[in-house]
Amino acid sequence: MIDMAIKSSNGFIDKVMRYILNTWERTQLVICFVLVVLIAMSPLVIRSPYYIGIIILATLYAYIGITWNIVAGFTGQLLIAHIIFIAFGAYTTIVLQNKFGISPWIGLLASGVVAALLGVIVAFITLRYGLKMDYFGLFTIALMTALRSLFLKWDFVGGGIGMWVSLANTSFANMIFQHKEPYLYIALFLVVLGLFIQYRIYNSKMGRYFVAIREDEDAASALGVNTALYKTIAVVISATMAGIGGGFYVMYVTFIDPNQLFNLGLNVEMVMAAPIIGGLGSIAGPLLGALLNKPLAELIRGFLTVGTSGTSLIVYGTFLIVTILFLPRGIAGLLQNQYNKLRIRVYGEEKG
Amino acid sequence: MSVQIFFQMLVNGLFNGSIYALVAVGLTLIYGVLRITNFAHGEFLMLGIYVAYWAYTMLNIDPYLSIPIAIILVFIVGVLIQRFLVQKILDDHPMNQIVLLVGVSTLLVGLAQIFFGADPKSIHVPYETEVFTLVGLRFSIPRTVAFVASLIIASGLFSFLQFTKTGKAIRAVSQSRAAANLMGIDVKFIYLLTFGIGAAITAVGGVLLAPNTRMIPSIGSGYSVIAFVVVVLGTMGNFIGALVGGLIIGVVETFAGFFLGSDVKIVASMLIFILILLFKPEGLFGRKIG
Amino acid sequence: MALLEVHGITKRFGGLVAVNSLDVSVDTGHISALIGPNGAGKTTAFNVIAGFYQPTEGKVIFDGMDITNMRPDQVCKLGLTRTFQVVRPFRGITVLDNVMIGAYNRTNNDKIAREKAYEVLKFMKMEKMANQTASGLPIALRKRLEIARALATEPKVILLDEAMAGLRPTETDEIIEVVRDISKQGIGILLVEHVMKVVMSLAENVLVIHHGVKIAEGTPDEIVRNELVIDAYLGEVVTDAAN
Repeated sequence: MIDMAIKSSNGFIDKVMRYILNTWERTQLVICFVLVVLIAMSPLVIRSPYYIGIIILATLYAYIGITWNIVAGFTGQLLIAHIIFIAFGAYTTIVLQNKFGISPWIGLLASGVVAALLGVIVAFITLRYGLKMDYFGLFTIALMTALRSLFLKWDFVGGGIGMWVSLANTSFANMIFQHKEPYLYIALFLVVLGLFIQYRIYNSKMGRYFVAIREDEDAASALGVNTALYKTIAVVISATMAGIGGGFYVMYVTFIDPNQLFNLGLNVEMVMAAPIIGGLGSIAGPLLGALLNKPLAELIRGFLTVGTSGTSLIVYGTFLIVTILFLPRGIAGLLQNQYNKLRIRVYGEEKG
Repeated sequence: MSVQIFFQMLVNGLFNGSIYALVAVGLTLIYGVLRITNFAHGEFLMLGIYVAYWAYTMLNIDPYLSIPIAIILVFIVGVLIQRFLVQKILDDHPMNQIVLLVGVSTLLVGLAQIFFGADPKSIHVPYETEVFTLVGLRFSIPRTVAFVASLIIASGLFSFLQFTKTGKAIRAVSQSRAAANLMGIDVKFIYLLTFGIGAAITAVGGVLLAPNTRMIPSIGSGYSVIAFVVVVLGTMGNFIGALVGGLIIGVVETFAGFFLGSDVKIVASMLIFILILLFKPEGLFGRKIG
Repeated sequence: MALLEVHGITKRFGGLVAVNSLDVSVDTGHISALIGPNGAGKTTAFNVIAGFYQPTEGKVIFDGMDITNMRPDQVCKLGLTRTFQVVRPFRGITVLDNVMIGAYNRTNNDKIAREKAYEVLKFMKMEKMANQTASGLPIALRKRLEIARALATEPKVILLDEAMAGLRPTETDEIIEVVRDISKQGIGILLVEHVMKVVMSLAENVLVIHHGVKIAEGTPDEIVRNELVIDAYLGEVVTDAAN
């Protein structure tokens, strides 16, 4: 069918296809753009708050996935417990609002800064003490566990009881809304921002240096890449963006506590699942993965009457296993194969 | 703190530590031979606990007597996981290995939630509050049994590795896959066996834990983290190190629990972990390279 | 003073002395070669010069500056680039992207980096593969890519670590031409080589090391007749080349 479309006498379609398929990066952007538009229009067709809620979470997970993609996908660093940045962001925003009456819109920026500082510390320690690969991953998990204990005992942030957003004061300035739709658009805005940042990084010297570090750190170093600097930059950018995401997360879910937040299960669901299934290191991966992941998990959970969170864990676990074994480059990888074939037909030649 | 309390806590710490030691031995064995960090390790302990629970509630078997059942069942699970999942990614990028094992871990927790429910379970054996006193210290029966059992099983495994042909083959592979291959050792078989043994011994730790513990499907993750600490502390791949490290961490935790409270005592282990990772990553028994 | 001067570098690993008091110098437009039996310490010497190892003793002076304790990327920025014996392409990205990473050494501008990368690929006769993924290349092309990447960093001196290993005779001849062309551009070259044909046809100055120690230095003809060298190599390879 696509063949026919291309061969049709309408040169316009051919021009459009040529434009879209020029590079795989651009094709991915177009795909993402279409998905974003679909998400934006979803409240027109979907009325049930329950389903809107799923879309909101999927959209947020896409954004968080993008933030992890930058450090784990682009530079290949095994920063497993990325959730600590989200947690710090969440606590910053809610503390600023509850204790100091500061609007979450400002709070989000503060969250970014706080998470960035944590990122600097993590990056510094890792590089200074040469924590490679598995050891880096374990370090982040240990840090997460230690932070959980600290927050459990820290009364200022609510300790084990947690903190919650008072739902009474609905207002735009407070980022507390009566209906779900505004949250969707904020999340969508974050995704668009994230995609933009991701794409700009990818296509730049910094992005290429990131990939070089992932592929072969020593070779990159021999070619003039200051690997320590760029690894730090990746962590900090990733952490900052994640912190902002955490700030929004708390405003949406309205309640957080250390056990729920500094949690590997949440880390898998919110941070890792989407980018991996979608394709770690690609541009469209996190969004594709999140849109497939979350709704599917909910759907399956809906079908089974027994067992609640058990089913979503089974779904996520299976997805991760299946992806690693059969689809190591994720959905984006699959699409890229199709892209290559399509490009030959449109352009008559190969392109990487 | 009086001398008596000090020694009481020391004893408690060692007893707790013996379980950590078993779990860590399993993890270090898997790392030493297959060279992967098993991020799903805590779930083998969880499986052991639930086997004990099931044996006790369904079959009315005393938990300690269900050790053989746990060994067999979890050994099989371990072998299946290795054969169909882990074997495929042994030479992959660490990120892939970690993600796969995290996926396995998530799946196992989910399955446990479905079969046993997410609500906490516990089993109460008739002798669970019984103690005997020796040199002025109180020894709880379940904990003492756990300690003795751990020692026996650890020694058994150690002897197996040191003195049997298969055990020596396992040690050979842990030193050099290539050399073992050249010597005619079926490395793939060794991988299966080792992963199974590692899983099984960890499950035993779970069974020993059962009479004392509040069982929830996610109980494994906390023990996973502690196992990592112990293994790194005792040097990755080092059997004795895992035993010693387990006992050390058990003692540290007990004292930390006394001073900091039980919900945050894990901080002490994390602190040790971070310090080791930063300043002595080769562990207590390792040698620095270069 | 030569562009690259290595003064008395020694590298010890625990009890093992891999390189012992080595002196080397390379000047612009000249080709020197470092040869020796396997395990003689050649690659270790490269690693020290390029900043991957810190020498136990000695200094490395480049362009008048003491670069002994500098990182590899700092050394590269100054104009000294090395290739690897076992090639290390960035496998997941295209040939062009691989070379661009080298080109970014001198510029932050994407357009300039891309143009420079194309230029280098043309020089290496690889422009047709620009958009192929590096992992799909055969060994001969991967060796070319390794050199192309290094060239893109605009080095003043380039260290080529066994650039011919594993190549067929025709492929070797092609690379020999490439190295000559690079030299003609005024870039200093230090080769580590096993293939005597390469050493004989390219090098102006040859250093022979054995057990980390320099046992001879001179023109290829002098080296080939040197008894110490012949002993070290068990004779055959060297006499082959001499005939």
